[in-house]
Amino acid sequence: MSRVASYFSRYSAKEWQQYFLSTHFWGPVANWGLPLAALADLKKNPDMISPNMTGALIVYSSVFMRFAWHVQPRNLLLFACHFTNFSAQTGQMFRYLNHNYFHIYKDPAATKAVLQ
Amino acid sequence: MLPHRALYQTLCRVGDKVVYPILPAFAKPAWNHAAGPKTVFFWAPTIKWALVGAGIADLARPAEKLSLSQNLALAATGSIWARYCLVITPVNYYLCSVNVFVFLTGFTQCCRIANYRYNHPEAST
Repeated sequence: MSRVASYFSRYSAKEWQQYFLSTHFWGPVANWGLPLAALADLKKNPDMISPNMTGALIVYSSVFMRFAWHVQPRNLLLFACHFTNFSAQTGQMFRYLNHNYFHIYKDPAATKAVLQ
Repeated sequence: MLPHRALYQTLCRVGDKVVYPILPAFAKPAWNHAAGPKTVFFWAPTIKWALVGAGIADLARPAEKLSLSQNLALAATGSIWARYCLVITPVNYYLCSVNVFVFLTGFTQCCRIANYRYNHPEAST
């Protein structure tokens, strides 16, 4: 059996069902809205980027990466969510700084009017 | 030793010498608690208040420059986590309160966006 198949067969169907019905799973699923929203916003007009919220989310995601790693039981889904969010928000921060201050490159989404 | 480790241990030493003696008696057991101020389990929910602060600061932003997807995501995650904090063991009122506020700021921003788009129908989705 492949390693992947043997990993999944290590747990009974009932244990998998308990996992997918637990807050340990659905809490992080709720949190995934944030990185997905950020990834969608990467293509949008950089005027829509809020520096306050982006900076706060960068700090928030870095602290919660450590939290997800050290909480008992370890929550790798939450860790992955905040890792993605940290990366996406850092990208947004770079786009914001480029568009408003450094002008290193021309942002392709910048020429479109706001809200289009 | 990595610099963040050294910084953390310095802060703990300073805290133990300076902060602990001046703590009131009812707070002294909390200092060394497993979810106390020396652990990430305290600071993680505390940092989440920065999201609330950023959301309140963003109330000054013009409504056409707000991101709908981000504020919808904040409202959704705030409401779901606020509910979950009350059904997990042990109940975590601290995390619940911060998520209530995250939901409120996200929802307020969504209402501002909706109001703007209602009054300016030329703006496309």
